[in-house]
Amino acid sequence: MSLIEIDDLVVEFRTPRGTVRALAGATLHASAGERIAIVGESGSGKSTIGTAIGALLPANGGFAGGTVRVDGVDVGTLDRPGLRRLRRETLGFIPQDPIATLNPTMRVGGQLALVVRDLGGDASRAALAQLLEEVQIADPADVLRRFPHQLSGGMAQRVAIAIAMARRPRILIADEPTAALDANVRREVLKLVFEAAEQTGATVVWLSHDLDAVAKWCRRVAVMYRGRIVEDGPTASVLEAPEHPYTQSLLAAMPSRLRRGVEVRTYTEMLASQAGEPDDAEVGA
Amino acid sequence: MSLLELDTVTVRFGHGARTVHALREVSLAVEEGQTLGLVGESGSGKSTAASVALGLRAPDAGEVRFDGRPLRRRRTAGEMQAVLQHPMWALNPRMTVAASIAEPLSVRTRDRAEVRARVAELLEQVSLEPAIAERRPHELSGGQRQRVAIARALITRPRFIVFDEAVSALDVSVQAQVLQLVRRLQAEHGFGALFISHDLAVVRYLADRICVMRAGEVVEDAPTEAFVAGPTHPYSRSLLEEL
Repeated sequence: MSLIEIDDLVVEFRTPRGTVRALAGATLHASAGERIAIVGESGSGKSTIGTAIGALLPANGGFAGGTVRVDGVDVGTLDRPGLRRLRRETLGFIPQDPIATLNPTMRVGGQLALVVRDLGGDASRAALAQLLEEVQIADPADVLRRFPHQLSGGMAQRVAIAIAMARRPRILIADEPTAALDANVRREVLKLVFEAAEQTGATVVWLSHDLDAVAKWCRRVAVMYRGRIVEDGPTASVLEAPEHPYTQSLLAAMPSRLRRGVEVRTYTEMLASQAGEPDDAEVGA
Repeated sequence: MSLLELDTVTVRFGHGARTVHALREVSLAVEEGQTLGLVGESGSGKSTAASVALGLRAPDAGEVRFDGRPLRRRRTAGEMQAVLQHPMWALNPRMTVAASIAEPLSVRTRDRAEVRARVAELLEQVSLEPAIAERRPHELSGGQRQRVAIARALITRPRFIVFDEAVSALDVSVQAQVLQLVRRLQAEHGFGALFISHDLAVVRYLADRICVMRAGEVVEDAPTEAFVAGPTHPYSRSLLEEL
């Protein structure tokens, strides 16, 4: 049995313009301790699949088919206390924009203390400083006193990682944790995420659009397009010999692979030029 | 003679002990019809260099020359344009696409027919459907918005355009489309460009020459081929290894 089993999952959002299908039968299994990257572009459904693991969909969204099982338990059938327990004991989230997810009215120390006390741990200054030291913050005593808006993006992300890892989650879901960071800070933060996960043996589900970075950190990659996983396999073989035409076009569009004089077209464009419109992700209107 | 030159430009923020050097004796040049790629991390001074090049900020020391003469905003109106990272902030949300594209030209001419013709021409050049002209920015995708911003920048036939992280907020495949578009338009229009990005891969694709900034200083400035073959500064080397 895998730790995460997502089978044929359909997720729909109710919007003023009708129902939008964000996931259209996505299937993904991940074993304990695995590092898996889910790659796709805006609107492909990767954030939805990330939040679906903890049933953390926004209020206007819901499961419309398929199942999500975490450790054998069907998340869709859990009641509120059950969901809370799952989220508290099993899941850790690292957000895209850490400054926005930290509480702007509380100092870093106060927020860390909330998490640690909840777990029955030691919330003394020294213990909190130790937590920050583990995520390689150079001057933890100073950072504990700061408010989120006084942190740089990289530092805020380290704090978010410290908060997520304090619970020793079995599953760590990182939703583009480096999208808002500089290239050089990016590498350090990724190193931190994967080293922390290695130490605790957590399964990492990393949502990303950066194929270059994926190649460095994950042995397995799943590619999403329009609410489905269209390709799933060892990173090396997916990047070397992609099978799905969408993956091929995605690879060709990577800036490091762009060549002058070689025209690159998007998959949607290719489909449109081949035969009419591609099957649309919108249902009803 | 270069199209645009920064000659030992220094820009300081703050006073006394709190003074920060945003630019420290920076010299760089953009040639007619060519692209200078400017790479560096946040806080390295890239965007300050751009605002100095556009004449939006006067240097504390040094000189900016456009066409060999000291830069004066009034004289260069319409000859310089900018395309920024977030087209949502660059486009007026209450204006239609057609009005946004037309604006830089319609403040200079009263010939409405000419403006309309130019807008149609530019929509086609940036590969947007004519029907998009009547939409507003919130009804467009990120890639479409950036195409509108590029069309708006091109309507006055500028000789110099600054692209400040213009593709950083876009998805990879959309990014590739916009990069290809910029290359094609440059071949057609022959504008000189200052292309700012933190992504060396993007700059390598577009630029004829690459300039690396760090902490307000230029640490490397070389033709793209030479840069890729072997940068001299250790920081440039580390950037190249990241690719």
